[in-house]
Amino acid sequence: MSVRVLIVDDSGFFRRRLSTIISSDPQITVVGTANNGQEAIEQVKLLKPDVITMDIEMPVMDGITATRKIMAQSPTPILMLSTWTTEGAKSTLDALDAGAVDYMPKRFEDISSDQTIAHQQLCQRLHSLAKNSKAPQPHLESIRIVKPPVQIPSPRVTSHSMPKPLSIVVIGTSTGGPVALQKVLTQLPANFPYPILLVQHMPATFTPSFAERLNTQCNIKIKHAENGDKLSPGTAYLAPGGMQMLLKGHARQAFIEIQASRESQTYKPCIDITFDSVAKIHPKETLAIILTGMGSDGKKSCQKLHELGSTIWAQDEKSSTIYGMPMAIAKAGFADGIFDLNDIARHLVELK
Amino acid sequence: MAALDSDDEILQDFLVEAEEILEGLNEQLVELETKPQDSELLNSIFRGFHTIKGGAGFLSLDAMVGLCHKCEDLFNLLRQGDKVVDAEMMDTFLKVLDILNTMFDETKAGQFPTPADPEILNQLGVYLEDDAAAAEPEPTPEPEPVVAPPSAAANGEDITDDEFEALLDQLHGNGVPGVVEPETAEPTPAKPAKSDNDDISEEEFEALLDELQGKKPAAKPEVAAEPTPEAKIEPKVEATPPAKKPAEAKPEPAAKPAAAAKPAETTVRVDTSRLDDIMNMVGELVLVRNRISTLEAAFEDEEMAKAVNNLAVVTGDLQTAVMKTRMQPIKKVFGRFPRVVRDLARSLKKDINLELRGEDTDLDKNLVEALADPLVHLVRNAVDHGVEMPDVREAAGKDRQGQVILGAAQEGDHILLTISDDGAGMDADVLRSKAVEKGMMDEESASRLTDSEAYALIFAPGFSMKAEISDISGRGVGMDVVKTSISKLNGVIDIKSEVGVGTTLSIKVPLTLAIMPTLMVMLGDQIFAFPLVSVNEIFHLDLDKTNIVDGQQTIMVRNKTLPLFYLRKWLASTFNDNGEPRIEHVVIVNVGTQRVGFVVDQLIGQEEVVIKPLGALLQGTKGLAGATITGDGRISLILDFPELMATYAHRGY
Repeated sequence: MSVRVLIVDDSGFFRRRLSTIISSDPQITVVGTANNGQEAIEQVKLLKPDVITMDIEMPVMDGITATRKIMAQSPTPILMLSTWTTEGAKSTLDALDAGAVDYMPKRFEDISSDQTIAHQQLCQRLHSLAKNSKAPQPHLESIRIVKPPVQIPSPRVTSHSMPKPLSIVVIGTSTGGPVALQKVLTQLPANFPYPILLVQHMPATFTPSFAERLNTQCNIKIKHAENGDKLSPGTAYLAPGGMQMLLKGHARQAFIEIQASRESQTYKPCIDITFDSVAKIHPKETLAIILTGMGSDGKKSCQKLHELGSTIWAQDEKSSTIYGMPMAIAKAGFADGIFDLNDIARHLVELK
Repeated sequence: MAALDSDDEILQDFLVEAEEILEGLNEQLVELETKPQDSELLNSIFRGFHTIKGGAGFLSLDAMVGLCHKCEDLFNLLRQGDKVVDAEMMDTFLKVLDILNTMFDETKAGQFPTPADPEILNQLGVYLEDDAAAAEPEPTPEPEPVVAPPSAAANGEDITDDEFEALLDQLHGNGVPGVVEPETAEPTPAKPAKSDNDDISEEEFEALLDELQGKKPAAKPEVAAEPTPEAKIEPKVEATPPAKKPAEAKPEPAAKPAAAAKPAETTVRVDTSRLDDIMNMVGELVLVRNRISTLEAAFEDEEMAKAVNNLAVVTGDLQTAVMKTRMQPIKKVFGRFPRVVRDLARSLKKDINLELRGEDTDLDKNLVEALADPLVHLVRNAVDHGVEMPDVREAAGKDRQGQVILGAAQEGDHILLTISDDGAGMDADVLRSKAVEKGMMDEESASRLTDSEAYALIFAPGFSMKAEISDISGRGVGMDVVKTSISKLNGVIDIKSEVGVGTTLSIKVPLTLAIMPTLMVMLGDQIFAFPLVSVNEIFHLDLDKTNIVDGQQTIMVRNKTLPLFYLRKWLASTFNDNGEPRIEHVVIVNVGTQRVGFVVDQLIGQEEVVIKPLGALLQGTKGLAGATITGDGRISLILDFPELMATYAHRGY
C-alpha cells in the first residue's frame, strides 16, 4: 500500500514541486492538493489521506487553523512545511500545538545541500509519519478536559522503576517532542526538587522560541541553556539547536557547557552527547527519560546510564507520536519503566 | 555571468507564478496607501513576498530571497500592528517592487538576479531594527535567519533498523506506484521587443498581423527603450467544468466536488503558440464552412442543408470555445494603472483616486497586450490634462480629490473601454482656434467641426493643448499613436466632454483579432471586406444629392455632412468612369473618430473571415489589412480604413 499524501500550499509552484518530489517515491501517491486551509479540510474529508503536508501562510484559512480543525474532525498526521526563521518557529510551534505531528523546512536546502538527499528525507519522513503515528493527540487543553487525571497507577509501575537517590532528570525527545514536553513539564510544580536537562531535536532558530514558550506555560522555570549555566532545582535547561549541550563540573556543583557541533554529528543537539556527559557527573543519580521520536538517539547513553545504575524511563507506544526512540530503549531492555505520557508527568510529580 | 537554464520547466513555472504575484503586489501596495491598516491587505502582501521568497529559495535565486525576506519580516510586523505604514515606507516598498521586477526580468532572461542595492536593504533593515529595539527586551539586534548547518540532518531523525527493513519491504512490495504527472509547460523562445520609437512601424504592423496567425513572434507595440529579450507569458488555461462560468476569475474555495474527485490540478499550462495554431486551424475550418454553405445553397437538398447547418453550429461553438481559451481578464493591463496614477499624481502634486471597473472582462490575449500602451497614454493624459490641481478644483466647488475611472465591459462581440475623469473638460472652441493657430485648417473648416470632431483634434499629430510641455504628456505625440494603435485593432474612439465636468473617452475594440466579422462588397469584379466594427450604416444614395465642399464631395446624413469617396477609384483595377449609375450604395464607416461615406458597386453581405497575411508580392500595400477566402472560394482583400484614408484621401478625389 502506498502512502497517500495531500499537499496543502497556496503557491501553485510549490504544490507542483512538492508533487514532483513526493511522487518520485513509488511508494507515495499524491492524492490531492489544496490551495488553502478551507480547501484542505474539505479534501481531507473526501480523500482521507494518510499524511498531509501543510503550509502555514495561506489565504482564506491559514495552516494552523486548518490543522486545528482537521485534528478535531478527522485526525490525520500533518507535516508542517515551514520557514526556519524565528518568526517561522513561533508559527510552527503554534501548529504543533494545534496538533501537527512534525515539521520540515520549506527550503529544502535547510535539510541538506544535496537536493537528492533532501528529497529522500522528505519522502522518508512522510513514510514514517504515515506508518508510525496514530491519530496524534489533539490540543492540550482539550485533552485535559476530556481525560481526568488517572488515579490508579498503571500496572507496569513497579517500585523498582522509581529512582533511588536522585540528583538530576534528563529528557531526550524528537518528533512529537514539543507537545509531549509541554504536556509533561506543565504539570510539574514550581518547587520541583531537581534540575532538568532537555534535549529536543530542533533547529537553532526554533529552540529560543520554544524555551520561551514553555517558560510561559510552566510553573517550573525553562531556560534556553547557555554556556556556564549553573544547575538549580526547579529549572529546566533546553539544549540550544545546532549546538551540543554538555554537563561539566562535579556532582556538587555542575554547570552547562555549550559546544559547537561537528559536521559529522547527525543530531544537533544530540541526546547521547548530553546524556553521556551527565553519566560522568551523576552516574547513579540520574533519571533519564526518552520520549517520542524517530530513530534511536539516546539508546547508547541510556545503556551506559542503565549499566551505571541510573533509572531509565521510556514513553509507551500508545502515547508516542512516533514510537521509535522509546522503542529502541524498550526493546534493548534498558527501561526501568515504560509509561503513558500522563503517567510520566504524574510519577515525576511524585518524586521525592 | 552565471546563467540560468531559461528553458527549465521549473524556472518557467516559478516565473509564471511570480509574475502574477508581482502584478498583484503592484496593485495591493498602491491600495495600501489608502488603507494602511487593512489587515486582510497586509496579510495578502505578506503572503505575496513570502511565496516569491519560497519559490526563489527553491531555485537559489538568493538576491530575490534576501529582498523578499526583509519585506516579509517587515510586513509581518505591519500585519501584527507593531508598525504602521508611512509615506516614506511606501516609497521604499514601491522601490523594492521595482527592484524585484528588474530581478524578475533578469531571471526571465536567464541570468541570476543582481543583488539589490545595499542601501534599500539597509533602509528595510532600519525599519526592522526600529521595531526590534522597541519591542524586544533582549539585545538581539535582528532576527537574522540562522543558516541551518548544511549537514544531512539539522533536525533529522534516523530510522531504526527495523523501520528501514520495513521501508525496504515496502519498496519491494507490490504497491502500484501512483505517479502524478507534472504539468508540462513548454518554454517559449525568448524574443526581442524590437521597437525603438513611439510609433508603430510598418514592420511592426506586419508582425502584428503575422502574430494574429500565430506564425511569427511579433514585436509588441509596447515601447521598449532597449532591446530586452523577453519570454512570452503563457496564459493559464482553465479547464473548467462546463457548468461553471468560463470567465471565472477567482476559484471559489467552497464546495468543489468535481475537483475533489480528480485530485490533480485542474489547470494545465499551454504554450500560446499552440493556441494560436488551434485558432488558425479553426479559422480554416470557418472558411471551409463558409465555402460549404455557399455550395450547399446551389443543391437544394434538405438533408444536405441540415448537415451543413449542423456543421455551422458546431463550428461556431468550437470557434467560441477556442476563443475563450485565449481570453485573459483585462485586469492584466488594468493592474498597472493604480501605480501609474499614483506616481503621476504625486509628481504633479495632484490628488487623484483611480477607480477600476469591469477588471474581470475577458478579451483576447493579443488584444490585452496591444491595448496596454494606448491605455497608458490615455490614463496619463486624463491625470495630466484632465484633472485639475486640488486648489483649482476647490475653487470650482469640486472635491479636492479628482476621480479617474477606467472601465471595461463586453458589449456583444465588442469590448468597450472607457477612461473618464471629472476634470476641467475640453472646450471645443478652444480646440478649434488652436487648430487654426497651428495651421491645421482654416477658420471656416474649423468652425464647421462638430464638438466631437473638435475633441478628436487631440489625436491629430503635433496637436498639444498644454502651453508648456511636461515630461508626462502633452508633446502631442502620444495621442496620435493611441489613435493609430486603436485603429489597427479595428477599434473606434469616441470622446465626450463637458467644460468643468469632465471628459469621457470610449474605445470600442473587437473581442478577438483572429476572426473578424466583415461586410463583403464588390468593386468592379473584385470582392473587398470591410471590418464590420467600423461599419456604421448602409444606404442607397441619389448621387444628385451630393455637394462639393472645399473641393470634397460630401453628403448630408441626418443633418451631418460627411465626406464621400468612391472606393472603386482607389482600388478597382477596371475602373470605368462612364455611365455612372445615379443611385449608388453608400457605406458609412467610422475611421478613428471620424465618419466617412464610401460608394461601393454592390453589397454582398456579412461574413466572418479569417485574416490571412498578404503574400510577399502585396506585402506593405497601403490600405490593406490582409486577405481572406470567401464562401465561394474567391480571394477577398480586407480593407484597413485608417491607412486607406491616410494614403488616398488627400489626393483630392
